[in-house]
Order: sequence, then C-alpha cells, then structure tokens
Amino acid sequence: MSKKDVKTTKEIQFNDKTDRPGQTAQMWQKALQAWNLKKNFKGFQLSVPGLELPKGFATALIGENGAGKTTLLNILTGIRLDYKGEISYFGRQEKGIDASVQERIGYTGPGSYFLPQWTIRQVEEISELLFDNFHKDRYRALCEELGIGGSGTDVSKQVKSLSDGNRMKLMLAAVLARDTSLLILDEPASPLDPLMRDRLCDMIRNYLDQGGGEKTVFFSTHNIADMESVTDYAIILEHGNIVEEGFVEELKEKYICVKGEAADAERAGEAMFSMHRSAYGFEGICLARNLERLAGMDITLETPTLSQIAVAVMKANTNLGKKA
Amino acid sequence: MPLKLLQNSGVPIYQQIAEQLRADILAGKLKEGEYLPSIRGLAKDLRISVITTMKAYEQLEAEGLVTAAQGKGFYVNAQDSEMLKEQHLRRVEEALAEAIRAARIAGMTGKELQEILRTLLDMQDEKES
Repeated sequence: MSKKDVKTTKEIQFNDKTDRPGQTAQMWQKALQAWNLKKNFKGFQLSVPGLELPKGFATALIGENGAGKTTLLNILTGIRLDYKGEISYFGRQEKGIDASVQERIGYTGPGSYFLPQWTIRQVEEISELLFDNFHKDRYRALCEELGIGGSGTDVSKQVKSLSDGNRMKLMLAAVLARDTSLLILDEPASPLDPLMRDRLCDMIRNYLDQGGGEKTVFFSTHNIADMESVTDYAIILEHGNIVEEGFVEELKEKYICVKGEAADAERAGEAMFSMHRSAYGFEGICLARNLERLAGMDITLETPTLSQIAVAVMKANTNLGKKA
Repeated sequence: MPLKLLQNSGVPIYQQIAEQLRADILAGKLKEGEYLPSIRGLAKDLRISVITTMKAYEQLEAEGLVTAAQGKGFYVNAQDSEMLKEQHLRRVEEALAEAIRAARIAGMTGKELQEILRTLLDMQDEKES
C-alpha cells in the first residue's frame, strides 16, 4: 500500500466521526503523522501503518510490557533511526527528524540521559548549551517547586545520588524549562509517588493550556487510572500493533461496562467483548453496538473508565495465558 | 462561575459541566456574546482532560446555546425562549423514541412502558421534595 492510500483510509474514518454533533473531527489537526512504521526484532515486529497525534491534546500510549511502546517512542524522538517508514512532524512537508524538529520536542525516558556524575547545576549548563530555547530561570524555579535535591535545592547534588523519582522530576524540569511544541514522555508516572503523579497531570494540563491548542503531549503509561484525568486520546498497542485508538470520550461510548446475573452469564458471554464470571454474577465490557443482544437480561450498565476499557482491549489481544 | 463536579455520581463529568453551564446560560448568568472559558483553561482549572470539557461545550453547541468561533472559543448565543423550548421538546421526543425502541426489543407493551415512566416520575418527585 502506498503512503497516499493509507492517508486516504484514515481520512475516511475521521469523516465518520463528523456524523455525530460536534467539532472534534474538524478541529483535528496533527502534531505528528507517521506512515508504515516498521521495526523488526527477533521474534517481534513493530508495525504501525498509520499514526496520528491530535494537536493540542494529550495522547496516552497504553500496552503490555514488550508491546513496543518504548520502541515506538524512540523512533518518534529520533533516538532510534533504524526503522522503516516515514514521519512528518508539525505538518511539515519534509519527512523525518532534524535539528529544528528536535528543538521543538521535549523527551523524558525510563533511563537517565544525564550522566551520573553531573550535578543539578551542570544539567542546567549543559541544557543551555544544547538548546536555544532553554530558560534557566524556569529550570531553577521548577527544581525548587518540585523539591529536587531537597528543599532549597542543593544544586551541587549529583544525578547518581538522586532517587528514581527525583531523577524523573529533574528530567521534567529540564524539559519544561524549554519552549517546545511536543512532549514525548516514556513512562513519566512510573517512578513518581502518588502526589507527584497528581502534580505531573497538572503540569501536562498547564502545558496544554499555555499552548492554547498548539502544544501536544504524547506519553506512555501503565498507570492508566492515575493518568486518566489528563488523557484526551488513547492508543493501545499490543505485539507491535495498534489494536484500538480514539478520543477517550468516544471510547467511553463505544464500550459499556455491564454487570449481570450468573444465570445469564453463558448467554451474555457470546455478546460480551470481555467478561469475568463468578457464582455471584458476571461483569465485563460490551461493545455498545452489541448491547441489544443482552436484551431481556437483568443487567446494570455503567460508563467504563479508561483503565477498564484498556484492560478489556488488552485482554482480548494478549498472548499471555491464552490457551493454545 | 462556580462549577461543582462529582467524580463518582454516575453522571459523566462532561454532562455535569454541560448541565451547570446550561443552567447559567438559561438563567442569564452567562450573557449573550460572552465567551466560555477556553477548553484547555477550564480543563486545567477543573483538573480534567481537555476532551471532556470539549465534549461538554460541543453538547451545548448542539443544543444551540453556544457557538464555536474558529480559534476563539465558544460564545453564548442569544437565547430565544420559544426556540429553546422547541429544542428541549425535540430532545424529550428523541429520548422517548429511544426508550420505545428499547421497550420493543424487550417485548414490553405500551402500557408497561407508561407504567415505568409514571414510576420514574414519582421517584424523581420524591427525590426533589
């Protein structure tokens, strides 16, 4: 399939969304587009025919361990260049990453890209050298605000002496001290405590608000529940393939959480997308369009949370624990 | 413009926002031509996702209460009470039509359906009294 064909099919899908009232589809501009991304490893292939990040929104990348999340993010940030496919950043005609694109992307990852012996002050000096748009006053304020290196921020503290959580905060401070258009955050919530996760969500909302629709965030996470209040668009990745994606409010209409009686479990099982049954009843996720097939049963319906949807989709696509 | 959101009420957050803004608009607290807070600003203040506030605004737009201005946000429309009544009437009809469809699938008679409506109305009255 040529690149152009992929784009066309995507556009047809978006037009479907205009059927419902609202402007989402028209307002949809892309911060990043990618076509036919492929990366082969032994026994694993990342294969993404089309990827689009809605501009001005926060998109979550969700998936099992080993689903290919980090590989995908590394390709998008230019950390990994050994892939097939094309990426266009910020609606540019020319494909691929260059210095001007990198200047506009802020990235934090699971490792530390600061050398262990660097101090908090040296991180500032190096960031200033590397990036034109780095504001050291903002960096200092953020270090202070996030309590990196204790209250009063001891700037002589070395990166290696920081806890995982503080190292993540340091990366966030360095990234948010720059003027960027796109944040790509690989598992930002994982090393953070609940209070800081809450703070992270605030920082993301703040970033989006300051951008006034021009700034975009793309983050991977296992902590779906903690990040739900900041997730606008969700992409679920399994075995290197996108198995579901959409604006969260739309996914919440596509899937419905159903609870019912044990006696109906057998029959319900045929219509449900994923379900768990016990002696007390059944509960699970049903596609809204299949809800009619549960007619006549005594059931309770609920709007699912993003975690419930994600878990159901992951369960339906996982290899884990599947009978041969 | 105070907004109170309940996380676990069973009513989706976007509906809670739409309801409260609708009430403010109909009560004239939000005046014609006045801009609603920006979607990202409101999301930040209410600590919810951008898409949730957007959906609330889109609902108000679909009801004809506000209009989206390209790049400028949503502003409150002139409120024509006749037109509003008409609009609400349409919503009631749509919702009831949906209920009738569901009742047909479940094999209920019109009488049973009316019974349910009466019970629900009574329950609502009780809640409000």
